[in-house]
Amino acid sequence: MTTASVGIVLVSHSAELAEGTANLAAQVSGGTVTIVAAGGTDDGDLGTSAAKVEDALRQADQGAGVVVLPDLGSAVLTVRAVLEDYGTAGSILLADAPFVEGAVAATVIAAAGGDLKAVAAAAEEARHARKL
Amino acid sequence: MPASCEQEITLTGDLHARPAGALAVAAGRFAAIISVTAGDRTADAKSVLSVMGLGATSGQHVTVSAAGPDAQEAVAALVAILSEATKVGG
Repeated sequence: MTTASVGIVLVSHSAELAEGTANLAAQVSGGTVTIVAAGGTDDGDLGTSAAKVEDALRQADQGAGVVVLPDLGSAVLTVRAVLEDYGTAGSILLADAPFVEGAVAATVIAAAGGDLKAVAAAAEEARHARKL
Repeated sequence: MPASCEQEITLTGDLHARPAGALAVAAGRFAAIISVTAGDRTADAKSVLSVMGLGATSGQHVTVSAAGPDAQEAVAALVAILSEATKVGG
């Protein structure tokens, strides 16, 4: 693949959760996809930060778009507020997906060269994957 | 005229997260529909969560099946990954 892969942004209330999930997804997918963690508030507390989300979107966008995964519903409010002001909202999809499974599934499809819609769909389909 | 192809391999290690990821990334680059069967369970090779859900372990016989224009190349590539990647844990 010479074309850029879709980037992934992980928005969590916890910086450690976002970082750990990003590490796991990178390991499973072979490390070729840009995954950016946006966890915690600006002060390092539990919560979400619009500034961190905006920075993450810019870092993750390699030209093929970005899929954003929120950990809990209230992170969605922060992401939506950022997207309202963000210039290229058409190239960003917010995925309604389980956080860990969605991040891993989305990153693997991005690593295989999947486009923006395919990567977001992989994240959302993770809801139906059984572990047992 | 789509081709189909199938090959069995005996795992030399458990099918953990990293080998499952390597398998799914490789599978996603082929046009063929590819499945991995272990025991009585079958997974879509392009879905990493589905492959991890197989719970395939060392010594188990696994069958890679593909249907589509690049089925032969797909099966060869995935069998190679399974024989390499399951040597290390992860």
